[in-house]
Amino acid sequence: MAEEKPAVIIRCEHIHKKFKFKTVLEDISFEVRRGEFLSLLGPSGCGKTTILRMLIGIEKPTSGKIFKDGAEITETAPKDRNIGIVFQNYSLFPNMDVYHNISYALQSRKLSRDEIDRRVKEIVETVDLGEHIFKKPKQLSGGQQQRVAIARTLVLNPDIILFDEPMSALDAEIKVILRQQLKEIQKKLQITMIYVTHDQEEAFAMSDRIMVLNDLQIAQLDTPYNIYHHPADAFVRHFVVDHLNRKVKSIEDSIKEDRG
Amino acid sequence: MNGAMVRTGRLLRHEALRLIAVGCILLFAILPLLTLAFHVTGDDWRYILKDDSFAEAVGNSLIYTTASALITTVLALVSACLLHTANLKRKNLYVILLTLGMLVPTISVGLGLRILFGTNGFLDLLFGAEIEVRGFPGLILGSVMTSFPATFLILYDALHYEDKGPYDAASIMGISRLSTFFRLTIPYLRIALISAFFACFTLVFSDYGMPMEIAGKVKTLPMYLYDQFMSSFQYGRGSIAGFVLLIPSVISFVFDLVFRDQSVSEKQKRLIETERGFSSAAAAALIVLCAALFLPQLAFISLSFTKAFPNDLHFTFDHIVGIFSNTHGVGLTAYIRNSLLLSVLTAACGTAFAYLLGYLSVRKPGRMGKAVDLLALSTIAIPGLVLGIGYIFLFRGTKGAFYGTILILIVVNIFHFLGSPYLLAKNCLNKINSEYEVIGETLGISRGKIIMHVLIPGSVSTLVEMFSYFFLNSMITISAVAFLCTYDNQPLSILITTYEKNSNYEMQSVISLIILFLNVAARVIFTSVMAVLNRKGEKEAEGGIGLSRHEFDFLTYLEKHGKGQYSQRKLADDLTISLSNAARLVHDLADRDYINLLADDGMEISEKGLKALEPYRVRKAIILAAGFGQRLAPVTLDTPKPLVKVNGVRIIDTLLDALYGKGITNITIVRGYKKEQFDQLLEKYPTLHFIDNPEFNLANNISSAVQAIDLIDRCYICEADLYITNPDVINKYEYASNYLGAKVSETDDWCFKKHNGYAAGYQLGGTDCYQAFGISYWNGEDSEKLKSDLRKVYASRGGKENLWEQVPLKIMRKNYKLEIRKCHKSDILEIDNFIELIAADPSYANYPGYEEYSGR
Repeated sequence: MAEEKPAVIIRCEHIHKKFKFKTVLEDISFEVRRGEFLSLLGPSGCGKTTILRMLIGIEKPTSGKIFKDGAEITETAPKDRNIGIVFQNYSLFPNMDVYHNISYALQSRKLSRDEIDRRVKEIVETVDLGEHIFKKPKQLSGGQQQRVAIARTLVLNPDIILFDEPMSALDAEIKVILRQQLKEIQKKLQITMIYVTHDQEEAFAMSDRIMVLNDLQIAQLDTPYNIYHHPADAFVRHFVVDHLNRKVKSIEDSIKEDRG
Repeated sequence: MNGAMVRTGRLLRHEALRLIAVGCILLFAILPLLTLAFHVTGDDWRYILKDDSFAEAVGNSLIYTTASALITTVLALVSACLLHTANLKRKNLYVILLTLGMLVPTISVGLGLRILFGTNGFLDLLFGAEIEVRGFPGLILGSVMTSFPATFLILYDALHYEDKGPYDAASIMGISRLSTFFRLTIPYLRIALISAFFACFTLVFSDYGMPMEIAGKVKTLPMYLYDQFMSSFQYGRGSIAGFVLLIPSVISFVFDLVFRDQSVSEKQKRLIETERGFSSAAAAALIVLCAALFLPQLAFISLSFTKAFPNDLHFTFDHIVGIFSNTHGVGLTAYIRNSLLLSVLTAACGTAFAYLLGYLSVRKPGRMGKAVDLLALSTIAIPGLVLGIGYIFLFRGTKGAFYGTILILIVVNIFHFLGSPYLLAKNCLNKINSEYEVIGETLGISRGKIIMHVLIPGSVSTLVEMFSYFFLNSMITISAVAFLCTYDNQPLSILITTYEKNSNYEMQSVISLIILFLNVAARVIFTSVMAVLNRKGEKEAEGGIGLSRHEFDFLTYLEKHGKGQYSQRKLADDLTISLSNAARLVHDLADRDYINLLADDGMEISEKGLKALEPYRVRKAIILAAGFGQRLAPVTLDTPKPLVKVNGVRIIDTLLDALYGKGITNITIVRGYKKEQFDQLLEKYPTLHFIDNPEFNLANNISSAVQAIDLIDRCYICEADLYITNPDVINKYEYASNYLGAKVSETDDWCFKKHNGYAAGYQLGGTDCYQAFGISYWNGEDSEKLKSDLRKVYASRGGKENLWEQVPLKIMRKNYKLEIRKCHKSDILEIDNFIELIAADPSYANYPGYEEYSGR
């Protein structure tokens, strides 16, 4: 049960990340709480995707440690971390139908066919894809593809799902629906989600907490309310608060102009 | 810590594979060249620098190669542009014809030219035009013909990636075609043109097959090299010639490396709107070119069937038959077997190896990807001739195990032809999403499995293309293989050179013809495999598996109600689905362009949506109208029941109007009783067909269904005596096979029950059931079942006594999942007896003879 486990699911301590010529992250420490929806928000190139890739295990920190449920996982192979990931373009296996996209990971784990079938069907119900299980990714809409990508990670019962800017390629209108959908799934399953985005609105619309990144470091990690009302520094004020205010103002202005 | 070790181990494994790949290329492609250098002594250099024949050979080669490369490039440029811009049908056919020369060895082209020209050549015999072609004219002509296909393909392909925007802009500004050609096309093609010129130059410069036939007294560099190795046994001098041969290819390779556009852009489709005059002129020019290019082939084909050229020009199969029987000790079949075996094995192993190289260079983490890439590409620069002699030096020591076996032929071919297939594989793998391996890692799926289950299925058509390249080239090559094959494993192409030595034109022709034939056959096979694969892909992209039920309901709803405002609330209510589902459907379908969203909740079905519905369209209707209609006597004594008028309208008209109203005009009526009366329907419904059932009064209605059995396919099967008051009981599209029924608590009529969601059982009278109305729809799959089941039952003992609908509903019920399509009881009026007829149309109350009948 969730109560027995510690409230902190991920803890990162003093993470440095340096690529060949460039430092991306400098001495970053933070905690992720169990069951929360955390957004990593920042301008492009600020290292948010690097954090994601280190959490999943396909990138290693130059120094520093990552813990999950109290145990160190800095060097653990991706498949042993029990963390799922959904990429920007979903990366569904194009030649497999929905059912096999979801069952593929189970098939490599030597489960019985009935067991696989049961688990896939259950997940398919959860993400509401029952009608589409025999379709190929090409035949699905963007929203349906996203649900398949989520289902594909969900089927392994991950503790955390990571999202790498999963909506940046979509129309504004569809984004709103997908946000709702994602929140619903999160509520239903009470699963921890970490979400990378450069879109302020998106982060504010979905998150329990937001980590704003800037210049190799965490500028602020707090609830949307606190970030908006008590920005930690000039960057946060400019990048988040001013941006949102401008947006609201421009909408208000255009409404006013219309009236006039 | 353990994890770290596993990770490091895996990385090491990647690097190990790369090391092996790099080692292979070094050993089989680079090292052979280096060994050449070891055989060159100072004496060789001194000799060759003073050797006039060497200088002459180099000079000759440069002259005819430069001339023909220039001509070929211009010719290829013009034809590629013509084909690309002209508005022609079947462009692929032109491409196939223009590149037909790729399917025969270059020596065969030389042979063809020799048969055409010169004393006693075809032209001499036909027109008395004796043209001496041997020497420079022949070399240039032959080189143009042999190098045209590859050069053309480079340019034609490049044109497909050009941005079309500027052309549209130019045409709007009224700039002439010629001007855009020089101001837009040529600058765009600059790199491709130079690259094509180099490719062409290299091809011609290192080819020795075609010159063998046509050079006459002119000595070329490859021939010099060949002579040094094969007749003078001066390996050092030969090696020096080999290095000179290498120079243009190295230049060409470096140029490509520096300038090749690394980004793989998508092919663009250009909307072509050219004047008809231009297109016809282009077509004519291209056809003339195809014909000209085909002349050498035509020459050797004709010669293969000519009795004794030039003295006896009668048609004969003698040469073909002769060569297959025991000629010169060995039957030709052995050579054909050698060739096919060599080509298939080269193609299979080569494709696998090139694909692996592509994978190692673009899809694996680690440092050596670049090295693999560079080495693999560098093989393009090595002329087969040079590679062949390198192999002699390097592998002579392995005689029996490798040298002198078919194995060395396969290996030399793989590395000789590696470059192009490697590029194909690399481009293909580059285009495939790079995150699959990462996804695999997080899901615990190994890289090997991802390759097998995701990457390879995603590159099947590329693999076929690679296989085809290896195969066709192995069939025609004579360069490297000539030095390495033995008497036992000599392929067909080498056999031509043997006959060249004793000037046996007939034999050379026949062998060329056989190679051409085999390659054309192989090409056809490869092309059809590709076509099948492409079609499959398109079908999937089009939504071959089809719509979900909700999507279908939604689209048919929109199709029926047309463009308009539909709030999500209204949609949810009308389609009886939840509000959130309605919202999702709208977005899913809009996302796939099945519907167009308009302002203010407005929407309409799109062209694509209509296309998606098309598989569900009801194709036709079969109406069973043979029966007598006993219970409606006396009205039916002289009129079949369907033609009885109710309120001034024939009963069957209500059904026909409903069908016509939904666009279903392919209607067949099975008639029997007073069949001639049905002809009157043609006046109003000209598209009706009739089938006569002569057994109508001997058997039950199953006999009518059997009469029309071949027509059953995605169709309605209807009874003819339904008086339809609501035409919507007929639909334009149907999702699944179904039977029309109205829920009733009690009925005396035929009815069925719902069992696991499907119609089941068929009986006269029942409670809490569905009253059956005789309209059913049969989809493609169920139509087939129904046909076979109807035949079976009809042929069985007493089978003719059945109603046809008892077959799917009762007798063979297990075979079907027949949905119940619900209607309201008032949608169709039952007129089963005279009382019901009077209820529907009171004017029948006074019908003469009614009293008498009702009294009985």
